[in-house]
Amino acid sequence: MNKYLEYQKENRIIRKISSKFKVEVSIQRKRRVWVAVSKKDLVEISNFIKGIGFKHLSAISVTDLIKEKNYELTYHVWSYQDNTLLTIKTRINRDKPTIDSVVSIWEDNAQIHERELHELFGVEFKNNPNLTPLFLEDWNNTPPFRKDFNWRDYVRDEFYNKENKREEPYWDAPL
Amino acid sequence: MNPNYNTTERELEYSLPFGPAHPGPGNFAVKLRLDGEKVVSAKADPGYLHRGFEKLMEYRTPIQNAVLSDRICVFEPLNWNLVHAQAVDELMDWNVPERAKYIRVVMVELSRIQSHIIWYGSMSKAIGFDTGFKLAFGYRDYILDLFENITGGRVYPAGYICPGGVRKDLGKNMPEKIRKTLNKINDMLSKFEKFDNLSILVRTKGVGILPLKKAIQLGATGPVLRASGLKTDIRKDDPYEIYSKLDFDIPTEKLGDSYSRLLILRREVRESIKIINQALNNMPKGNVIIPSLNSGTHINLPKGEVYVRNECSRGEGAMYMVGDGTEKPYRCKIRGPSLLHQIPVLEYLLKGSQIADVPAIYWSLNPCPADMDR
Repeated sequence: MNKYLEYQKENRIIRKISSKFKVEVSIQRKRRVWVAVSKKDLVEISNFIKGIGFKHLSAISVTDLIKEKNYELTYHVWSYQDNTLLTIKTRINRDKPTIDSVVSIWEDNAQIHERELHELFGVEFKNNPNLTPLFLEDWNNTPPFRKDFNWRDYVRDEFYNKENKREEPYWDAPL
Repeated sequence: MNPNYNTTERELEYSLPFGPAHPGPGNFAVKLRLDGEKVVSAKADPGYLHRGFEKLMEYRTPIQNAVLSDRICVFEPLNWNLVHAQAVDELMDWNVPERAKYIRVVMVELSRIQSHIIWYGSMSKAIGFDTGFKLAFGYRDYILDLFENITGGRVYPAGYICPGGVRKDLGKNMPEKIRKTLNKINDMLSKFEKFDNLSILVRTKGVGILPLKKAIQLGATGPVLRASGLKTDIRKDDPYEIYSKLDFDIPTEKLGDSYSRLLILRREVRESIKIINQALNNMPKGNVIIPSLNSGTHINLPKGEVYVRNECSRGEGAMYMVGDGTEKPYRCKIRGPSLLHQIPVLEYLLKGSQIADVPAIYWSLNPCPADMDR
């Protein structure tokens, strides 16, 4: 089939977005569109794509790119009208991870996802009303899902006793 | 009596924890604020089952992760096996053999049926209808027997649906056995339908109403969203495996109360039976896993990223996987349906309800603390 005809729906969405904003777009396959935006445009673009039908925020994710000293945030949004998944990607500094919240757009749905990522990656979402921890109790160490947090070290130091003979093998085992 | 005792409205309020040490909610708690019998506010308290799968998966190869993916949701391990297997398949750009796709669909739909049976059982238990609970769990065992025969494990299949196909072919008599079990499930459904005049109707009708607009805003998916009136199903809208070749309906209801969610449950089991019968009838012969792949094969995940969405029995189950050229995934994000059902949706529904309705509302959402905490 003609490639243009095959991706008609996806191309229509891309045209709508790129007529308004300067973004990098790619079509991965049918029903999967990826958009890379800069940090400061995120809220504006989110607002726009919600207006064209992307009402369901499926997930927000953070990828810790430790070598490039960046966090890559991905917002996976689904449209019930066009049956297409749009992923917005944006990068922020890993040492000072702050970004504007999208709670004003996807409301309670976004709130929970951001709350989770704040806890697990330490990302600061500006204007999110409630960033209290979800899963961990009394945690004051590095956010645990960062690449530089070694959970095997942590578990050994925290829960195993070096003097206890029965737990000795845990200290000799390679990490 | 103390003359200074002033019974203002505020002072009559008290708090009541619903869970976690309670047979109702499982490994999950809701802190309720009550004014007499009325729930003033509810605050979800998750985290009792947080195992950090997303991080654990970064330390393991896809074959190991296939086994790990069982545990994402206790009640539907096969569905999560498929989500993980698809993410790896798509990232590796593998062509999974046609027979494997059919077997995957049969297994996933069987898993959906048994998960829905648990839903019915625990819902019955929550509203004090013990007959339904016992009946449901009894019938569920017929499906667990099938799982034991096919995968070797009754509840956890140990990565039966693995990257590249499925671990083992169905036995020779298996299609016949599956059909016989489905007949029994049909009997069960007609029994369930007869119970409608009993306590179920009284306890669930008009309880916990979730309007469609609110459902979309709060991020509800799957049966909960369909009970509120939106005709959507990932198996149809974003088809995977062989679902685009199969003929089945998407049941919807309008009201969005606990009772309509219960109706959706029963009708979805019927649709799943339809799907399994079609898949068994049209199943081709051939390999069930990519021939070059065996347990010792070294897989390097190529650079790239995929987002896979599946219709699990509770709602949308998705996985975002990033590969970086090594044998382990660089990042695995798991999106479980219960995270949104159990926090924003539950908090919204409980606010203003009666304390006696709390279990009926909670279980009508088909929650699973395991896939919420991950």
